[in-house]
Amino acid sequence: MNTDRRMPASLDTQLAALPREVAPARDLWPSIRAAMGTTASAAPKPSRRWPLAFAAGVSVATAAGLIGWQAMRPPGPSIEQATPASAGRNVLGAGFAIPEGNDYLATRVSLEKTYRERLGLLKPTTRRRVEADLAVIRAANADIRDALVADPQSPVLNRLLQGIWQQEFDLYVSVARNTDLAVIRTRS
Amino acid sequence: MYATANVVDFPDQAARDGAEERATVAAAARGDRRAFENLYRRHSPRIHGLCLRLTGHRETAEDCVQEAFVSAWRALPGFETRSTFSTWLHRIAVNTVLARRRGLAARLEQTVDGDLDDLDSRSADTLPALDVEAAISALPDGARHVLVLVGLYGFSHEECAEALGIALGTSKAQLHRARGLLTARLGLETEQA
Repeated sequence: MNTDRRMPASLDTQLAALPREVAPARDLWPSIRAAMGTTASAAPKPSRRWPLAFAAGVSVATAAGLIGWQAMRPPGPSIEQATPASAGRNVLGAGFAIPEGNDYLATRVSLEKTYRERLGLLKPTTRRRVEADLAVIRAANADIRDALVADPQSPVLNRLLQGIWQQEFDLYVSVARNTDLAVIRTRS
Repeated sequence: MYATANVVDFPDQAARDGAEERATVAAAARGDRRAFENLYRRHSPRIHGLCLRLTGHRETAEDCVQEAFVSAWRALPGFETRSTFSTWLHRIAVNTVLARRRGLAARLEQTVDGDLDDLDSRSADTLPALDVEAAISALPDGARHVLVLVGLYGFSHEECAEALGIALGTSKAQLHRARGLLTARLGLETEQA
């Protein structure tokens, strides 16, 4: 590897004495493992014969698809103005646990409206990908709800359902944010 | 833990370690999270040391370690064994640090009309209280990055230049600069030309 090490002997000695390995002050693995749970991976696919496993699998696949879409989205500045999309995120951040609630319905109507208006501004390939992702999200939503009929108190299924709602909203927000610039150009 | 059946076929410890590492990497690439945790346990101290010295800031370094390992997990299915996992992971870590640095620079350009060299005046308490560590931490970014990669973590100048996106000559010049600054700040004898 390196051959250029013409340092003063005493400096060399001091540098050589430095430990290359410095353990983090805290265990970072739990955070890494949590982040891995929402990213694409080559994890084994779950069986479709068990509703819970199927629902979880669809959720993971959805997250992977969304991340893939995020990765391929066109670069450009994100305008953090209070668009309907960002307003929706604020509502979610404030605690958005009840899907039948008025806040949810109002925000969803607003976001979905913006999403439909902006969808045509995306490149055809991106648009197809987004629509496919949304279809997966909605299918996962239906599957989890079916599974909840058999086990309505399942904390895992309920968490998955909340995750699906969040993913749907994130998709709408992403479309809105990534088309803000195009909308501004159109208006000016 | 992995591929233990093959261990007895290898004559020396290094070969055994290499074989076990490859088996662990292969398992992680197939989605085995325990295998990936094994890789994290094995490599995180060195990756953290690298990030700590590149950033000069403990919390930022920890963030970079986390991001680097998550990035590695995502990219692992496409990992090609032409390079070692360790070398590959080091490059991911360097890219993570540089990406954060670019993000920070962009935010500063938007908020203040300041000189990025201001960022080089780090306080000595961000690293262990060793004179040489503090001196390294206080180096300007360019010089510190090259010193850390070439002088501490064994990158060649070619590898360093590629990782940092700089010219080969710049890498050598920055190492020379870092040597001079460290020599002066540590009160050592001036390096002979």
